[in-house]
Amino acid sequence: MDTTGAGALVKALEDVGCEVIFGMPGGAILPAYDPLLDSVKIRHVLVRHEQGAGHAAQGYAQATGRVGVCMATSGPGATNLVTPLADAYMDSVPIVAITGQVSRGVIGTDAFQEADIRSITLPITKHSYQVHDPADIPRVIAEAFALAASGRPGPVLVDLPKDVLAAATTYTPPKLTTPSRPVLPPVQLRNAAQLIGSSKRPVFYVGGGVIRSGAAQELRELAERTGIPVVTTLMARGAFPDSHRLHLGMPGMHGTVPAVAALQRADLLIAVGTRFDDRVTGSLPDFAPHAAVVHADIDPAEISKNRKADVGIVGDCRDVLAALSAVVTGTADLTEWWHYLGGLRATYPLGYDWPPDGALAPQYVVERLSTLAGPEAIYTAGVGQHQMWAAQYVKYERPGSFINSGGAGTMGFAVPAAMGAQTGAPDRTVWAIDGDGCFQMTNQELATCAAEGIPIKVAIINNGNLGMVRQWQTLFYDGRYSNTGLGTHQRHPDFVKLADALGCVGLRCTTQSEVDGTILEAMEVRDRPVVVDFVVGQDAQVWPMVAAGTGNDEIMAARGIRPLFDEEE
Amino acid sequence: MTRHSLSLLLRNEPGALARIVVLFSSRGVDVESLSLGPAEPHGGHSALSRLDVVVGLQPGRTAAQLVKQLGRIVDVKSVVDRTHDEALELGA
Ligand SMILES: Cc1ncc(C[n+]2csc(CCOP(=O)(O)OP(=O)(O)O)c2C)c(N)n1
Ligand SMILES: [Mg+2]
Repeated sequence: MDTTGAGALVKALEDVGCEVIFGMPGGAILPAYDPLLDSVKIRHVLVRHEQGAGHAAQGYAQATGRVGVCMATSGPGATNLVTPLADAYMDSVPIVAITGQVSRGVIGTDAFQEADIRSITLPITKHSYQVHDPADIPRVIAEAFALAASGRPGPVLVDLPKDVLAAATTYTPPKLTTPSRPVLPPVQLRNAAQLIGSSKRPVFYVGGGVIRSGAAQELRELAERTGIPVVTTLMARGAFPDSHRLHLGMPGMHGTVPAVAALQRADLLIAVGTRFDDRVTGSLPDFAPHAAVVHADIDPAEISKNRKADVGIVGDCRDVLAALSAVVTGTADLTEWWHYLGGLRATYPLGYDWPPDGALAPQYVVERLSTLAGPEAIYTAGVGQHQMWAAQYVKYERPGSFINSGGAGTMGFAVPAAMGAQTGAPDRTVWAIDGDGCFQMTNQELATCAAEGIPIKVAIINNGNLGMVRQWQTLFYDGRYSNTGLGTHQRHPDFVKLADALGCVGLRCTTQSEVDGTILEAMEVRDRPVVVDFVVGQDAQVWPMVAAGTGNDEIMAARGIRPLFDEEE
Repeated sequence: MTRHSLSLLLRNEPGALARIVVLFSSRGVDVESLSLGPAEPHGGHSALSRLDVVVGLQPGRTAAQLVKQLGRIVDVKSVVDRTHDEALELGA
């Protein structure tokens, strides 16, 4: 009996290599905070809201490739983690959430701050534990870390009753296991190689799994060896360099015309670490109608879920791509295919118009940010128009440089995710590209950043509105703008003053000529977070666009311009 | 709806059954019958439980997909689709 459950928890976290916890104490988790005070290996970042802790753990995990950890007390502390857990589940982000629970004897009695967080989170966690014996804590922590990171990564919850944390126990160091990787099926690999070798219009449809598995190099090798075009989904931005000649950009609802066309006209999709999400496929029966499908994913349940695979390969993306490189000997002549795609690339580059009223173009702000901060920076985004512009106009060259909420689409993700990313990558510049709506959901974490010396930079794309919703109202509801005006152009709130009050530097930029200077001024600040209020026009829209529920062939390069639909006639 | 008969072996851990049942409800699977018992019928505490379940699937959803989704649950050791065997047993 050399320690307590709480002591064992902290020691186990140290032993599995945890270096930072984002969390907030409270009654039930309080015993854990006592030994934490003495830990020299673990930094605790005290957040202002547990949702911030969860997204910070996600940002940390995606910036470092390691498991992110968040901690909360029972009841409301734990329920505040629900959104980040759902987010991490959708985007396969490895995090471990540690929650306090009421003591064993009163579980199930509606005790003060009791919430059955395990049940609440059943559909949004990969696995969860409630520990009833303090001696089990080291093993459970080690298992939780291993589960979160292995196979298809995801969130794992560890619920710890207060009396278990307080009880005396003996520390037994956990056995650390290296997860086994699936053995690749040779027949499927050969069939895939055969399809790759014989197709005339193949395309690599690359998803976030390539980033999770660290397969960017293997992808590049195989793409260069074959000369096959590559598209990268929202979750895969950075998995393949944007500057690469084989890269056609992002597919999907707001994808580029050549990327969407490549999928629609392909005779072979080589889908790697991706899940045929509806934002990519549009109406499923109309998606890639002429293509055979090779689908490689670590999760067998993804293969043939939405689109039947002709060849399914269960495996780690890195292993699969390396194995394919070894067996693919050549390809058919792709000249005609590239001729077609090259034509689209030349005719329909990403582009935007300046607002006629002289307001700042939001796309320009993002473009300049990308140029001035460069590919070594990390960019996070909220959800909305600014997120899509961040995906389109920042040029990504390396995996892990774009961190956003893809599957869940969680407003408020950007600031806390940036805080987590900056904590894990202190030497990088971290820019949160945020919306004026999103920013108001989680900006309290800027106080955390200021107090803890986490100098993130926030670019608020302030269009005065819930812009993405407003865009849909413009297009599909006759311009009836029901409840999308935020009043942020009337300074409700004044973001510069708010930044100042939170302990940050606040800057404002309203004209094109000020953009570069303001970004450079923000880059000069190294000792504090910076918030830039970029006041932009309210009518800018995200293009291209495939309207929800329609087929990808109906992609509009701009309003009323449907290049693929028209080419059929 | 198509009917399928599945047989699962799961670890007898708290929450294991709940996770399976929640998967059915979140994926829109209709449960027609469900029976749970120790996998080793004799002797005291059994480390493994056996779950036999008959489910109804919506059009377009396959049993193979459900089997794979159930297989992702950490406490599920194996899942077998017995629909075909049962049809044979019934002489159908
Ligand atoms: C938590 C949450 N609530 C509501 C939504 C629906 N929604 C999606 S985008 C959006 C507008 C976001 O506004 P803002 O942050 O200003 O971004 P903009 O589109 O203007 O760039 C809303 C309300 C959401 N995705 N998440
Ligand atoms: Mg906005």
